[in-house]
Amino acid sequence: MISSRLRFESSRATEFVDLTNRLRDELQKSGLRNGRIHMQSLHTTVGLAINENEPLLLRDFQKLLERLAPGDAGYEHDDFARRYEIAADESVNGHAHCRQLLLTGFATLLVEDGQLVLGRWQSVFAVELDGPRPRELAIQLDGEFAEVEREATKQAQLVELEITRQLMVDPDAVALPMRRLMEAGGKRLRPRLLQLTSLIGPRYDPLLAASLAAAVELLHSATLVHDDYVDESTHRRGRPTVAAAEGAERAIAVGDYYFAKATRMIAEIGPTAVTSTMAEALEAICASQIDDVAMRGAFPGDRSSYVRIVKGKTAALFAAACASGALLSDSPPEVVAALKRYGELLGIAFQMADDVVDFSPSSGKPVGLDIRQRVLSLPLIYAAEDREVGAEVRSLLQGSLGDREVDRVVKLVTSSDALRRVGDEARGLVEDALRELEAVELNGLRSTFVSIARSAVDRTA
Amino acid sequence: MSVQIVEAELDRLEDLWSNGLAETYRSYVDALSDHDPALQPKLALAASLIEVGLRLQGLGGRAAPPPTLLMGDLCLARGSRLLTEAASKPVQVAFARAIEGLSAAAASGKPSAPVRELLLHAFTATE
Repeated sequence: MISSRLRFESSRATEFVDLTNRLRDELQKSGLRNGRIHMQSLHTTVGLAINENEPLLLRDFQKLLERLAPGDAGYEHDDFARRYEIAADESVNGHAHCRQLLLTGFATLLVEDGQLVLGRWQSVFAVELDGPRPRELAIQLDGEFAEVEREATKQAQLVELEITRQLMVDPDAVALPMRRLMEAGGKRLRPRLLQLTSLIGPRYDPLLAASLAAAVELLHSATLVHDDYVDESTHRRGRPTVAAAEGAERAIAVGDYYFAKATRMIAEIGPTAVTSTMAEALEAICASQIDDVAMRGAFPGDRSSYVRIVKGKTAALFAAACASGALLSDSPPEVVAALKRYGELLGIAFQMADDVVDFSPSSGKPVGLDIRQRVLSLPLIYAAEDREVGAEVRSLLQGSLGDREVDRVVKLVTSSDALRRVGDEARGLVEDALRELEAVELNGLRSTFVSIARSAVDRTA
Repeated sequence: MSVQIVEAELDRLEDLWSNGLAETYRSYVDALSDHDPALQPKLALAASLIEVGLRLQGLGGRAAPPPTLLMGDLCLARGSRLLTEAASKPVQVAFARAIEGLSAAAASGKPSAPVRELLLHAFTATE
């Protein structure tokens, strides 16, 4: 059984915080194949609910709670003169406690074949009733864990501990925004690949691998902080971005701090080959970011430009993570080279899968946001080339993109063959990635490489 | 030789060279005259890219517009890569610590020492 805490920060007095993707991330990290996830609210003014994430419906729920326990109904709990041991920060919140009584503080979700068992329209919510504030849920994952994944879980916990340890020693001005980003979840695929490849060579050191993996995740996060400012993104992983919450100046400083810290950690830990590999990847990321923004003038672009940019923007760090783990454990050069190619192909496939997920309501961000921001997207490129919808897509993208135009483009993309084409292509790249590993010895880890690669593209979030 | 090294490293940054990067580079070349001549151009270019990159980003001042920020990011990344090729591990670490200090100060609105002073000091780091 695995126990952990799921932390989030609410941003309104009453708020339905969708935790479905966070739970999926936890599930993926845990390696639980079949069993249950138990959740328990650790607050008397936070409830749990499983329902549909449809904004108007959520407003209906909020109104229902307000009707059943109105804020101004006069609660004895709020009569501080008659109460003992009142905390200094006690709020007037009798209504919130009463509303919580109408919900549940516990929930159990079933897990089958490594997936949450949820109906098509079901999402899991923490219901904030007295926000905004930081909140915490206890979760326990119980059942059958895959053996290799059990080891992966231990490794993942080491990385989380290392990230927490590193953030604890940093100044609050940079650490707090980064902690919020880290706590909001993420797949941690790059650190996982690094740790996995570090098991291949003869000199496996779990602590060193965890430190390097943590550095890679910090580096990745630093690039995200700057990306969000560049893309004018307001939310990431369901939370406000650093730029949106604290301004562009702070976002630049936070990104720079963790760029520098991560490169320092890598230099302190890694052999020269690792340091060089990571430095080259970082340079490729930055160069492709420039190309990405430049290409927005020719939005949505073409497939070959897409692949060139994604190779730098996403795949370079996947490849570097795979190569670095192997280098750290002294793997033979041919194994390092094969893993690097595996990482690059997997990175491209991962980005393609991400593009497909962006057209699904379970993506964690509003559908169509990338279209509005003119972010590179292969489904959009294919839809623009489509015989039936292409002309209309191209015409819409050439004009200004308001809500109506974006909704229409989303409809055209989803009605065309574009999403299926991209999905097929991503799966094809995964098979190419796996072929790269056929000729090398992987220390009994082949099936794990297969499962990571396939799960990176077969996902809904 | 040094001209070839520098030219090879200016991909996408050519315009910066004539807009202050060359001058900054020459200042570092002068300051690093006691270093191994074979490494001097890369070290000076690394430091000048980092200094110019931080300036472009607007670190500690007004945030740069996104395209300029990305150019600054590339300068930092390339400078960092050049350090891995030419600098000792203590110097690489000292450079990173200098940027950490500058960005932490910027994030908390505190003043910091001039960038060049910090970077030149980083070159003196030893085991």
